[in-house]
Amino acid sequence: MTTAIPTFSKATAAATILLVGSVSWALLGAGLQVLSTLQLLIPALAYVLPIPWISYGKLAPLTTFLFTYGWITSGFLGVLTILIPRISGIPFRYGRILGSAAIIWQVAVLVGLAEILWNGSTGLISMPFSRSVTALFFLSFIVLGTGLSRGLGRSWKSGPLLPRLYLLGALIAFPLGLGTAELLLRGGLAPGALQIMMQFVWNSFVHHLWLTPLALVLLFQLLPVLTGRPVGSLSLGILCWVATITLGGWIGNSLASEGPVPSWLQSAGVVTTLLLGVAVWGNGTLLKPLLEGKWEECRRQVALRFLAVGLWSYLASYAWLAFLALPAVRQTTTFTMVGQATQTLLLFSFYGNVLAGAVYALLPASRMIGWPSHPTLTIHFWFSTIGLTLIASSYALAGFFQGLALNDPGVPMSTISSYLRPFLCTVLVGQVLWWIGQLSFSTLFFASLLKLFPSVAPVAIFPVDYDEQPQPVRQGQH
Amino acid sequence: MKSGQALFIVFASLLFTWAGQIALGYFQVGRLEPILNEETNYTEPPVPSGLAQTGARVFASQGCLECHSLSVRGPSGSADLTRGWGPRRTVPRDYLFREPALIGSSRIGSDLSNIGLRIPDSKDLMLHLWNPRLRNSNSTCPPHPWLFERKVAGPKIENDALPLPTKDWKQILPKYQAKSLVAYLQSLHSDYALPEAPIK
Repeated sequence: MTTAIPTFSKATAAATILLVGSVSWALLGAGLQVLSTLQLLIPALAYVLPIPWISYGKLAPLTTFLFTYGWITSGFLGVLTILIPRISGIPFRYGRILGSAAIIWQVAVLVGLAEILWNGSTGLISMPFSRSVTALFFLSFIVLGTGLSRGLGRSWKSGPLLPRLYLLGALIAFPLGLGTAELLLRGGLAPGALQIMMQFVWNSFVHHLWLTPLALVLLFQLLPVLTGRPVGSLSLGILCWVATITLGGWIGNSLASEGPVPSWLQSAGVVTTLLLGVAVWGNGTLLKPLLEGKWEECRRQVALRFLAVGLWSYLASYAWLAFLALPAVRQTTTFTMVGQATQTLLLFSFYGNVLAGAVYALLPASRMIGWPSHPTLTIHFWFSTIGLTLIASSYALAGFFQGLALNDPGVPMSTISSYLRPFLCTVLVGQVLWWIGQLSFSTLFFASLLKLFPSVAPVAIFPVDYDEQPQPVRQGQH
Repeated sequence: MKSGQALFIVFASLLFTWAGQIALGYFQVGRLEPILNEETNYTEPPVPSGLAQTGARVFASQGCLECHSLSVRGPSGSADLTRGWGPRRTVPRDYLFREPALIGSSRIGSDLSNIGLRIPDSKDLMLHLWNPRLRNSNSTCPPHPWLFERKVAGPKIENDALPLPTKDWKQILPKYQAKSLVAYLQSLHSDYALPEAPIK
């Protein structure tokens, strides 16, 4: 990364607003998620305390909204606002406008939250908010997206190519997908079953053409820098990029089983999911060698360890999606909790870990702060990792049992609910652990931001090595 | 790779995604029309009432989709029909007049594509919304008391008051939201045959 950018750039305020928003939404979402699982686990709670705005039907879509648009998207935009000027060598101008756009994004999330709590979700997949929230997202994205795309411009012929390619794809896919979805779903242009197809397409855009490419920008940029190794084959990287951008929007249909989606489209979804699995495997062969023999550094460096877990989660998520797309598996798992397992793998394990790693790696460069080698780092990593493992595995097992039971007409629905309880208990434990992990990260994040710790090394080191001297990092390496 | 090439690939890929699914989907699914039943002279699927259309939004806003699906699958590989969730599988034409068209993501509760056939009486549906455990003591469905209001009973009990013992001379009356939701649930039935989905 270039050192041409002063540590305090004009986008510092925007990045800080986006990251503070991200951390706060994650904390709130984690708390509400625990509450919603508690309601699913103990239905009697709803009888004891029937409050409309904390019912499961409102909390479930609300938490997904907070995690997708509040935590992950806001966080990715925040770290990219720090990273992109450093890749391109072009500092942002108009810092106040960028800062305003960052505030508008947070306002959009807040309005969406209030709407879902008071009026309920729209029921549309990945679009539980109203037009006004879409308008705010668009307004904010126009400014932030323009800023980020401007940062791509001058250095196209030099520097790392793959991160910029993924960023380009994501920056075009998001407004195109959101605009099309808004027009077709709420503009009255898509009748009947076409609306459901559009919801699947939009869901694919959000995850596989927007958030996955943004996570790959960070992986392809930060892993080579942190490990000091270049990515092996650019040609393979470009091939995988083309496959990701071309096939990512088709995945949603692979999870539909009969019903409103035509069978050829479901088959196309299966084929594209399997092909995308090959592209992901290709990316894996490019990124995994960067970590080979770097176990000791992964053990020491917080950012590298989170990014490594993010990389493995990326491979696991898409292998899982390819497995679910197989027709025999899909028939069992459609309309089950396997969907929540997929969401946990993608949203929390893959995007969440990459985001955490990026924040640990990039925040010092933006704010001239250091991460203290504090036990909360260890708490953040282990509680999050153990929590997510519990959540994903419990949801996956619960989903398979649920699917098998649903396909056995002799099993009554109330019995199926009782089958799910032990798994939901484990999910609840996992969610509490993850919440504690987020709480420790937030504490550290805000304390570092407010410079409550004495100035320490700009690379976060796990406290296992506290007695060792942190490795000196060259000024402006980030 | 030049920036122009990269831009072209991105736009071509997204166009392929959009055209392949939405444009082709429009020609196959978006241009479906209702079938005229020559015996009854009604179209199928039937056009829901305005109240039912409002109810669809209440259904979405209450988060019913978090636990209930709206799609009955065929006999191969699923037990939806054997469970009695509908007389036939759901096909794209069934969603023709549904606005918004919804499908759901989980089946913690049963599929509701034909709830209007399974529970045709509006009083039963109202009672379920008020307290699902009145009809099924094992129900995990949460109650929705906020869709009702308690009013002091006049000289006689109002027609739409829930048939429950009154407390303090108060009767339980459904709000507009509950009425529209029940109208929507009653409109959910696919007891008509379609060329692509006959009833056997």
